[in-house]
Amino acid sequence: MSISYTLRESFSGFRRAKISSLLSIITVCISLLLLGSFVAITVNAGRLVDALRARLEMEAFLVEPATEGEIDSLVTAVSSLRGVENVLFISKDDAVRIFKQEFGEDITTVLDFNPLPPSLKITLTPQYRTSTGTQEVYDRLVAMRGIESVVYRKALLELIDKRAAGLNKVMLTLGLIISLSAIFLVSNTIRLAIRAKQSLIQTMELVGATRGFIRLPFLLEGSVQGLCGGLLAAALLAGLLGYGARLVSAEFAPYLRMAPAFYGGLVCAGILLGFAGSIISVVRFVRPVAAH
Amino acid sequence: MISFSHVAVVYDSHRVLHDISFKVEPGQFVFLVGQTGSGKTTLLRLISMDILPTKGIVTVGKYSSRGISPRELPFLRRTLGTVFQDFKLMGDRSVFDNVAFTLHVTGTKGTEIKKKVMHTLADVGLTHARNMRVQELSGGEQQRVAIARAFVHNPLVLLADEPTGNLDPGTSAEILQLLFDINTRGTAVIMATHNYELTRKAKQRILRLEEGGVRQVEKA
Ligand SMILES: Nc1ncnc2c1ncn2[C@@H]1O[C@H](COP(=O)(O)OP(=O)(O)OP(=O)(O)O)[C@@H](O)[C@H]1O
Ligand SMILES: [Mg+2]
Repeated sequence: MSISYTLRESFSGFRRAKISSLLSIITVCISLLLLGSFVAITVNAGRLVDALRARLEMEAFLVEPATEGEIDSLVTAVSSLRGVENVLFISKDDAVRIFKQEFGEDITTVLDFNPLPPSLKITLTPQYRTSTGTQEVYDRLVAMRGIESVVYRKALLELIDKRAAGLNKVMLTLGLIISLSAIFLVSNTIRLAIRAKQSLIQTMELVGATRGFIRLPFLLEGSVQGLCGGLLAAALLAGLLGYGARLVSAEFAPYLRMAPAFYGGLVCAGILLGFAGSIISVVRFVRPVAAH
Repeated sequence: MISFSHVAVVYDSHRVLHDISFKVEPGQFVFLVGQTGSGKTTLLRLISMDILPTKGIVTVGKYSSRGISPRELPFLRRTLGTVFQDFKLMGDRSVFDNVAFTLHVTGTKGTEIKKKVMHTLADVGLTHARNMRVQELSGGEQQRVAIARAFVHNPLVLLADEPTGNLDPGTSAEILQLLFDINTRGTAVIMATHNYELTRKAKQRILRLEEGGVRQVEKA
């Protein structure tokens, strides 16, 4: 079988069946657009929630007075707790400076003395940034000698947990619906393609063409259609997300950006969809069946 | 070369052929006659093994309906050429591409394909229409494309199913002459027809299908 013939056949497929080729490309594009926006939304919503959780630190106030040695061993002990990522010691003087930054007033001139206790700013590892995880670390901290009290934004954390769980449920349902619609869309186009090509394939077989000879141009044609659909979907989605990023505030814009790998994935998914679609449409060959 | 031995075909409990036996030797010309619905197309489909017999054995060259595998089918069919009753042309391609397809299938070189196709198109008088799409041709012209596609590769046997079905008497005679010419070059021809006028004047062998059986018509 000659390669140039196969290539020529694959590409003349577009010329011969412009509408059906366009339909396949659009179908792949729409399916990927749905799937791609869904993935983009899910990934970015997750990133947004994670960023929010990362901001919620715990603060442990120390018993006064504390010697440098006591503080050092306390920092080491807290650092080695499971779930703790980072510990930052805030001395009484540091606390005054931070207070001034936040409220614009020097508390020592207002009160004549420094009422702010030294403290530890504790960041948790990502897995522990939930209300149960934080509670676990909280319980350990308050039990430690040298720690007076521990505060964190418990109510906010619980709210985030609840909303995130709800979001996951919605996304799971939505993902299922979108995947099913994509499969339905593509398989429907495939069924039409089968019907359109069945008699052509049958004729080719009767004239003595082998299966490989018949299939290869169709598979190539389908893959190229998938590639076109994938490229189109990637371009549209990139444009859409770019436009969206300009609409929201600068703080949220990064959450509408997707990695190049995502767009590469979309294009690959398109090729795969086109290839799989054409396989299904040509695999149903007519075998010699004995009249019974 | 072609042999039918006690062949029967039953379609969904409707018996079309029963106990058919005959042989066709290389280079022979055979008319296959019979009323509409008598099973002429069915018999030709048995030869290209598009259907297999319910009973009995069909052998074509070294292939037998008993033992043939799907893999071997294309190779059997390349030794045949078929003019289908409904043409089965690829309507979205040019006349040239339709005829060339039979040669592409066997991996023939491009320059050779061009030469053979142009010769064959000249034989059927369609040189001028080579770049037209099949859909744009008249019924008679399509019939000639179908014939060209069936013998461009010099098959051992040409199966022609009503090749004069859509033609006026003059053109029918021309087509028949074309088939005789192809036959003189060594290709065996089996032509199904219900045009009795054509067969009455000819001196070729005639097989008549009647009530599911086959009867050899002896010429005086
Ligand atoms: N695929 C099929 N399934 C069921 N019955 C069929 C099938 N093909 C043909 N038949 C029946 O078999 C009989 C013979 O059909 P066939 O096409 O072989 O006749 P024919 O001699 O070629 O007729 P015509 O001269 O009209 O072309 C007819 O009664 C037809 O209805
Ligand atoms: Mg018929």
